[in-house]
Amino acid sequence: MKFTRAVLLVFILMVTLSISGAVLAQDDCSFAEEPIMIGGIAPLSAPGAVTAGVAMQWSMEQAVADLNADCGIAIDGQNYELAITIGDSEGLPDAGQRAAERLIEVEGIVGAVGVYHSAVGLATMDVFQDNAIPTVYSEPWNDNVTIEGLTRFEEDGIDYIFRIAPTSTVVARAAVDWLLNEGVEDVVIIAENTDYGIGAVEQNEAFFADAGVEVETIFVELGTEDFVPILSRIQAGDPPDAIRIEVTGETGFNVTQQMIELGIAPTEDTICNTMQDAIQPEYWEAVPDGNFCAFYKVGIAPANYNEQTEAFVAAYREEFDSEPAGYAMASYDAVGVLADAIERAGTVEDSEAIVLALEETDITLTQGRYFFEYTSTNPLPDDGSVPEYLWHQWLDPAVIVIQFTEEGQDAGAAPVVWPPAYQTDEGVSYFPPN
Amino acid sequence: MNPFVLGWLLLAGPLWAVIGGILIPRRYRNRGLIEEGTTAAGVLGGFAGGPFLLVPLWYRTPNVRNRAWAGMLTALGVLELYAIFAITNPENVCVALPFAPTYVSQQILNGLTIGVIYAITAVGLTLIYSVQGIVNFAHGQFYMIGGFFSYYFLLWTQNWLIERGAVSEDFVLNPLFGILIAGVLSFGLGWLFERMFIRPMHSGKIERAAEYAILITFGFGFFLEYTTLAMVGPFPQRAEAFTDVRRVSLSGIELDGEAIYGPFTVLADRGVAMIVGLVLIFFLLWFLQRTWAGRALRAVSQDKDAAAVTGVNPLGMNTFAFALGSMLAGMSGAALVPIFAWVPWIGAESAVRAYVVVVLGGLGSVPGALFGGLIVGVVESVGSGCFPDPSRGAAYKEAFALGIFALMLLLRPNGLFGQKE
Repeated sequence: MKFTRAVLLVFILMVTLSISGAVLAQDDCSFAEEPIMIGGIAPLSAPGAVTAGVAMQWSMEQAVADLNADCGIAIDGQNYELAITIGDSEGLPDAGQRAAERLIEVEGIVGAVGVYHSAVGLATMDVFQDNAIPTVYSEPWNDNVTIEGLTRFEEDGIDYIFRIAPTSTVVARAAVDWLLNEGVEDVVIIAENTDYGIGAVEQNEAFFADAGVEVETIFVELGTEDFVPILSRIQAGDPPDAIRIEVTGETGFNVTQQMIELGIAPTEDTICNTMQDAIQPEYWEAVPDGNFCAFYKVGIAPANYNEQTEAFVAAYREEFDSEPAGYAMASYDAVGVLADAIERAGTVEDSEAIVLALEETDITLTQGRYFFEYTSTNPLPDDGSVPEYLWHQWLDPAVIVIQFTEEGQDAGAAPVVWPPAYQTDEGVSYFPPN
Repeated sequence: MNPFVLGWLLLAGPLWAVIGGILIPRRYRNRGLIEEGTTAAGVLGGFAGGPFLLVPLWYRTPNVRNRAWAGMLTALGVLELYAIFAITNPENVCVALPFAPTYVSQQILNGLTIGVIYAITAVGLTLIYSVQGIVNFAHGQFYMIGGFFSYYFLLWTQNWLIERGAVSEDFVLNPLFGILIAGVLSFGLGWLFERMFIRPMHSGKIERAAEYAILITFGFGFFLEYTTLAMVGPFPQRAEAFTDVRRVSLSGIELDGEAIYGPFTVLADRGVAMIVGLVLIFFLLWFLQRTWAGRALRAVSQDKDAAAVTGVNPLGMNTFAFALGSMLAGMSGAALVPIFAWVPWIGAESAVRAYVVVVLGGLGSVPGALFGGLIVGVVESVGSGCFPDPSRGAAYKEAFALGIFALMLLLRPNGLFGQKE
């Protein structure tokens, strides 16, 4: 009897120790001594879009924290802590290149994420390619980013650049389709004089021309404050059916507010289609009269949020008290996509293996399921039926058009007016009372 | 138009300008007359009137150093430019009748409104230069921080009053109060900075004073910008508007009930900022002319040693001038914080423009800064509003002012109101 009791006690003790051990092991991921260092690039000072840069930095760091809370990256049964260091691109190509070089040479990164401005993306991609750094861009939209990646692949047999942001063609298409659906016949585009703005204008003009819509384009310099002279020029002619603003940061806010103050748009005659920064709560601070303006948002509508999105949005709201913009979610996800690829590649030394793993990505994160359709194993068809910019490009980024209907409205609560699949208010567009 | 006639019109002005710029100063020199201002007169006269103005200038060699001459020749040059522009761009919105007079006047009005605002910032810079002989490279950051002083004063005071139930929930403190507070705080900050970092330069403790002044003001500018960025973040802020009215319509001239000239629109907040700017400039002029401290400042700017003999403390006046200049920059920022989205790096562009305005008006001249500001405002406004390619008009906005700046340096290096040392 005593023997049986003793065996029972030993058994209970062993079970208890096993459970405690498991719990303890879960709390302590027992990371390897050296973390895996990745680099992020974001515009953290002027003339870059600093507001976006700060949101991107927070999102990338949050992604790293969340991954580490889940025991980081496991390679050959060993957990590695993920570490990130952020380089400031200042929104300038040369500053972006310097930041990329510093990340590679000083910090010894094994992969890179981020980048906001297209000009910085185009300038830094050569640095990452030359140094064999697998990179997931989260925001530069210019089509040429992936087109040049394809060229590099054709020359060198490998392309280290991937993009999970939409291309500017895709973004332009969504907003243009909405305006065409509203029946516009003439449009004025006010765009920033940068790679992003010029690229966006080219696509907008092409789509509008196909639909027979007249377009007048005005380029402005980032950092300019006073737009009244050029807006007066618009006012001097017949009111256009829509004014579309492709200007980022506070410069875009200034254009929008001054346009409204002059009474040009939004009116019954003219639709105000402002930039995606309108999603930030600062929009109402900088554009207090900005009701009834519409803007496009890259990223899924709240109705399509999954559990990860909900968690990220909650954390973001706690930090910034606003709905996250597409670049914040994409920056968060870019870290996840890269970490997943490193883990599947099972190495940090072999960058080609990481690239192959990235090409085989199939992971669901805050913006949905990530995959890269056209890769080295599934090249673009030779007949030109698929645009080149879809190389190493995530095919599913959502672009929706939202319109404010109340002063001070939270972007998350404003109705989605386009595309029909996401419409929250039967696609009704709102215009200010005459 | 016949291409030969058009070609001649386009070439004639610059060609005669070059001939005038070379020959007229030589003529004055050969006659033993003062050469100052003759290059400008030759260039402008040649450009505006070709041989019809150069020949009388050659024979009569009048005194061309007065501003009336320069003004008349410049006006003729502008008219000729407009004529060439009208011939080459008959469809341009600034030329095509009947709307052109109203449109051009509206653009001039836009330029004058923003020009006064440019002038307030520049006046502070020129004041510091005239007394201290240094260019304050942190001036743009004083402008920036003035806007933030006003913004946060208004925000905190409103919240404080609302929390205590002294006012209703929707109470808004008018930004005019913020301008006063920004002036006081910027004055204090400028005073402190001058005493700590600029004073040693005048006390002979610094070996290479000129280089020191550049570096220390540059450094302080960076310090202010990045400290502000760390404290308030990168997100754009804007104070409440001065008035609930967004724009004011000024009636023009009507004939048989139909508008033939006008009406014109002024954005109400800019109108208020312009009035604030004019009040500040005229108050400053009154202060400099009519008060003991103002006269002492002018005395120090003219001759420090002589001023010291009459009992003026030049070091004290240096500090006072720097603080006053900083105050004006801060107040101009506070006047604009309800108008533009305010960010910590906003000072960079306004500082560059202030340097252009100051050089245009003449370093050290307060009325020069006012006129310089107005000229820059009008040139930018009309330039971007009339540029033949509308898609590029706004992008070249700053280039128009820099073009005038380069021309001024070439023809009249001391600026409109500047005096030769």
